Amino acid sequence: MELVLQTIANGILVGALYGLVALGLGLLMGVMKFLNIGHGTFIILGGYLSFWLFTLWGIDPFLSIPLVIIAMFLIGLVLYMVALSPLLKLPNIGMRIDTSMLVTFGLIWVLDNVMTILWTPDTRTIMTSYTGETFKLFGTRFSITGLGGLGVAVLVALALYFVLSRTYFGKHIRAATQDAEAASLCGINVHRIYLLSSGIAIALAGVAGVVIVSTYSISSSGGISWLLIAFVVMILAGEGNINAIIPAGVVFGLLEAGSVLIVGVPYRQAIALLVFIVVLMFKPQGLFAKRE
Amino acid sequence: MSFHWKKLLIIGLLATVFIVPPLVMEIGTATMNLVIMLFIFIILSQSWNLMGGYTGQINLGLAAFFGCGLLVTHFIWKAEIPIYFAVMAGGLAAVVLAGIIGLPTLKLKGAYFAIGTFALAEVCRIVVGNIFARMVQMPGSYAIDYSLIPRYYLGLIVAIITIVLVYFVTHSKVGLAMVAVRDDEQAAQVTGVNTFKYKVYTLLISSFLAGLAGGVYAFLRLSFHNITAVFSPIWTFEPLMAAVIGGAGTLIGPIIGSVFLVVLSEIFALTLGEAHLILFGLLFILVVMYFPYGLIGSVDRIRQMITRVGRSISKTRQKL
Repeated sequence: MELVLQTIANGILVGALYGLVALGLGLLMGVMKFLNIGHGTFIILGGYLSFWLFTLWGIDPFLSIPLVIIAMFLIGLVLYMVALSPLLKLPNIGMRIDTSMLVTFGLIWVLDNVMTILWTPDTRTIMTSYTGETFKLFGTRFSITGLGGLGVAVLVALALYFVLSRTYFGKHIRAATQDAEAASLCGINVHRIYLLSSGIAIALAGVAGVVIVSTYSISSSGGISWLLIAFVVMILAGEGNINAIIPAGVVFGLLEAGSVLIVGVPYRQAIALLVFIVVLMFKPQGLFAKRE
Repeated sequence: MSFHWKKLLIIGLLATVFIVPPLVMEIGTATMNLVIMLFIFIILSQSWNLMGGYTGQINLGLAAFFGCGLLVTHFIWKAEIPIYFAVMAGGLAAVVLAGIIGLPTLKLKGAYFAIGTFALAEVCRIVVGNIFARMVQMPGSYAIDYSLIPRYYLGLIVAIITIVLVYFVTHSKVGLAMVAVRDDEQAAQVTGVNTFKYKVYTLLISSFLAGLAGGVYAFLRLSFHNITAVFSPIWTFEPLMAAVIGGAGTLIGPIIGSVFLVVLSEIFALTLGEAHLILFGLLFILVVMYFPYGLIGSVDRIRQMITRVGRSISKTRQKL
């Protein structure tokens, strides 16, 4: 019983992080139909920024989040202006997705190696005074950093939900998502919306990176595995369904934690991915898709 | 089907350039290794090109087929079966794998196909990594008479087979259907092309080629410290880069791209170190954004521009 409870707790903690990892990818895909293969690499970049702030100035990783958000937001703006906005001229959505995939794939190549040169290929992690500490509740152990990650994920998701559903800016984003041309006819500056959304998406990747570097560890080539998780969670949530991403992440986390109980640690990710492919085949619109 | 004698002559000349030298003179180990890697890259990038360039399905799981071919070749060769059969078996094993994992993923459209194949390749990597936790290697007897020359010829033969196969496939009815799927899948379906069937055909051929490439690599390297490395996404990404930089959807493009990538990385790796990969990334982004038909396409474009300029010059001359 205790083992099951512990598994569920682990699944939720990891799952919230998985949701956080997918938020930026889901936003970019949902709003602009850009499939950012470099998402995992941006996550790692955010992690390195936080690592840098901690080692050089001793800023606590969770306190460094605002700084990382600002830096990554600016990077997102540059990314949109330099690499993504030219793709809007492509004739159809399918081409836009494919080309953005290839462009951001080239970006992985560039960023991975820049990061290797800047921070060496070693695995990095932030060791704060509370890293590795846990506290017990109902016989289950929760790690402090894991709970911090959960808190950050929930906060960020709530903030995003609030912005998207309660502000004019969010309304504009949703309008541009549904029909960019009609939105622009109604006087919405679609380019500005796209620009800011790209910034937000990359900033979200940065936040995920901070949580990862404080809970797990990062290395300059580790972006690919996080990218895969982000893909999986995004598709489980359903394309363009940003509010369902954190729940979908928790589902995936529980799935992974559950398969540890059944088949053991080594195959945990393989089982979760297989389940994902089954979902992809039979319910490509995602688990949380709204009924139309 | 008409034969172009000029083209055949060029191909024949190229083939002699590649066939004769190792027989008549001693070539350094480094150069031989480089050329064999070039052959492997040509095979892999042609394999990706069939799927990504001609049929328009971006396959991010090429590494799984490559690794599968490699493993099967390795173990069959270890059982003292001649390498040529082992390589064939490796290719066929990749076809079987493609049958198992390709049929479900091909039901997926566009980006979902890319993500699905990527996930499946990762599953293969994890499973293989768990099964073969230790170093995978040949017994010492295989290393005694190790020579690069048979490896060179195996690579050359497979590369030629690949190019010929891709040529004939793309110049057949299947090739027409493939291009139709890429350009507009719905329209193709409406006009009566069974798009799913042709996508499956393409995937099977493409994975067969990737499996053969794995076989050549298994013949080249006798031991693998970490077998998951051959399933790592890099074996998908570099051929993809070669095909796209050279010009996806053409026969010559991936060959030029492979030469470009392998030779330049050899030159730059010495002088620039890690930074040469950054250059490749930037070049790749530029090609994707501004030369969607790759180096080959840009050559055509420049030629068109020159003829246009030439024509306008001659016109103005006539006026004068």
